[in-house]
Amino acid sequence: MGNMEDRLKQAFLEMKRQVALDIVEKMIHSDADPLLILGTCREAMEEIGNKFETGEFFLSELIHSAEVFKAISKMLEPHLISREEQEDTAGVVVFGTPKGDIHDLGKNIVATMMKAQGFRIHDMGVDVPPERLVEEVQRTGAPILALSALITPAFVSIEAAISLLEKNGLRERTFVIIGGGVTTEMARKELGADAQTLDPTKAIRLCRHYIERESRLSTQ
Amino acid sequence: MIQETMSRQERFETVVALETPDRVPVMPLMTAFAVRAQGMTQGEGWRDVDKGFKAMLDTFNDLGGFDKLYKPNLFWPMIGGRFCSTPVRVLIPGRQLPEDALNQIDEKELFSRDDYDKLAALGWNAFWDEQYPIMSGGRTIEQLAASQNRLLDHYVQEVEAYHSQDISPLFGAYVDSTTMAFSMARTLTQFTMDLYEVPEKVKAAMDASCDDLIQNALDVISVTKIPLVFIVLERGSGFYYRPEIFEEFEWPYLQRYVDAFLSEGLTPWFHFDTDWGLNLPYLKQLPKGKCVCDLDGTTDIFKAKEILGGHMCISGDVPASLLTLGTPEQVREYCEKLIDEVGRGGGFFLTTGCECPVDAKFENVKMMIDVAKTYKGKH
Repeated sequence: MGNMEDRLKQAFLEMKRQVALDIVEKMIHSDADPLLILGTCREAMEEIGNKFETGEFFLSELIHSAEVFKAISKMLEPHLISREEQEDTAGVVVFGTPKGDIHDLGKNIVATMMKAQGFRIHDMGVDVPPERLVEEVQRTGAPILALSALITPAFVSIEAAISLLEKNGLRERTFVIIGGGVTTEMARKELGADAQTLDPTKAIRLCRHYIERESRLSTQ
Repeated sequence: MIQETMSRQERFETVVALETPDRVPVMPLMTAFAVRAQGMTQGEGWRDVDKGFKAMLDTFNDLGGFDKLYKPNLFWPMIGGRFCSTPVRVLIPGRQLPEDALNQIDEKELFSRDDYDKLAALGWNAFWDEQYPIMSGGRTIEQLAASQNRLLDHYVQEVEAYHSQDISPLFGAYVDSTTMAFSMARTLTQFTMDLYEVPEKVKAAMDASCDDLIQNALDVISVTKIPLVFIVLERGSGFYYRPEIFEEFEWPYLQRYVDAFLSEGLTPWFHFDTDWGLNLPYLKQLPKGKCVCDLDGTTDIFKAKEILGGHMCISGDVPASLLTLGTPEQVREYCEKLIDEVGRGGGFFLTTGCECPVDAKFENVKMMIDVAKTYKGKH
C-alpha cells in the first residue's frame, strides 16, 4: 500500500487528475483505510502549498490540486463512518464574501485548500450580510472569520462585521483575516482586521498560527 | 498650476512615445463612480443611457477635466462589439441586481471541454454564431447583433458629442486576450484544468480564434474611428500561471494582436489586472514607444519602471483602497511618488489602478487629478 500512497502523492504533484482518481479507486477496492487515503491527499496538498510559497508552483497548481482533492473527498465520503472523520481538528472557520460583492473564485480556492489542511469551513457563500457572518461565528464558536473581497463595496460590510463582533463581545476571541484583489495592508488597518493577504498558503499559515497560539495560551 | 503647452491628445501621444510632456497626463478610469458622484443609483445610470452619459460628463467637469475619458457611458464595451470578448452575461443593477449594486459578470461555463474541437474547426465567430443561442437561454444571435449595433451607434454619437467639447474617450475597441476570452468562457477553474489535461485542444482552438478576435476589434475601430485598442488581460498572468503556460497560450497571440494593431496605426493598451511582474520582461520584445502597459496596483509599478522604462509607456496605479479609505493627503503623497519615480524621464500616464471604485471619496479623485496638474516632480 505504501507504494500506492507514494504514487497518489506523485499524481497530485504532477497534476495528473485521472491517475490520482484511478489510484484512489484501487485503494478503496483494496479496503485501504479511507482516513489514510485522505491523509495522503492532505500531505500532497501541503507539499503543493509549500512549493507555491517558494515560487516553484503557481496559483494554477493550487486550483488543479484543489479540484482533485474535492473529487477524491467525494469518492471517500461513503466510506467514512461519520462526517466528523473527515472533518477536522485544525480549526473552525466562518468564510464568506461580504455583502456588496458576489465574487467567489478566491474564496472557493482558499476554502478548499483550508479543508485539505484540516480546517472545518462554514462557507457562507457570497453577498453575505454582516449580521449573518457574526451569527455564524456565534453559533459555531469559530475562532476565525475569513472574508474575501474583490471590490470596494465589500469594505463597508467588513467594517460592519468587525463592529458587530465587538458589540456582541466576540471580537477578542475572533481572528479576522481578509483577502482578495482589492484588499491591502492599508485596508486591513482602516477596517480593523487582524490579517490581510493575497496568498492562499499564507492565509492558511496565519490561521494555523493563530489557532496554535490560542491553544498554547489556553493550556497555560 | 503647471503652464500647459500641449493639447490633451498631444500630451497622450507624447507619453506613449516615451517623451516628456508639459505635465503628466491623468485619467481616473471612471464609470460607476461618476454615476454615484451625481447622486444617482447605478440602476438609473443603466436604465437611461442619456442619464449615464450626462453623469460622465458632469463628473468629468466637476473634477476639473482631465486628459482622456475612459468610457463615455456605463454600457459600452461591456456589451458592444461583435464577439470582441466572450459573450458573458452581465448582471445589471436594478434588473438582476439590487438597484445600487455594481454591474457584475456572471461567470459560468459557456461551452464544454468537448467544444474545443468545434472551435478549432469553426474559429471564434462561427463557433459563437452556433453556440450563442444554445447558451443564452433563448436569445438569438440576431437579437444580440441588433443590441450590439445599437449600442455601438450610441457610443459613436456620444464620442462625437465629447469631441465637440475637446474630450477624447480612451478606446476605439475593447478586446479580450485569447487566454482571457477562453478563461471567461470556461471559467477560471475549468480552463485551468483544460490547460493541464487537454492543452493541445486549447491550443488548436486558440489558433483558430486569434484572427477573428483581431478582426472583430478592427471592425469596431472602423466604426468608432478612435485609434486605440483596449486589450483586457487578467487571466494569463504570472499570478495564475507559470511562464511556460504564458509562453504557449498568451504571449504568441498577444504578439499577433500587437503586430496587427500596429500595422493599422493603432495603439495597443494592455489592461493588466492582477500581478504581471513575472511577465513584464517579455514586453521588451515589442516595438519601443508604441504600446501602453496599464497596471492595477497589484503589479509593482516601480519595478515595472525598472524593467520597461525607456521602452513602454506605463499607466497606473492609484489603488482602489487608497481612493476609498485614504485621505487626500495620502493620495497626494502616492501620486507625487508615482510622478517622481515612474514619471521620471517621461512615458507615464497617471491613472487609477483598474477602475475608479464606486465609493472612492470625491476629494481623493480630485486630488489625484490636481496633483498631475500642479506637481512637476523632482526630476
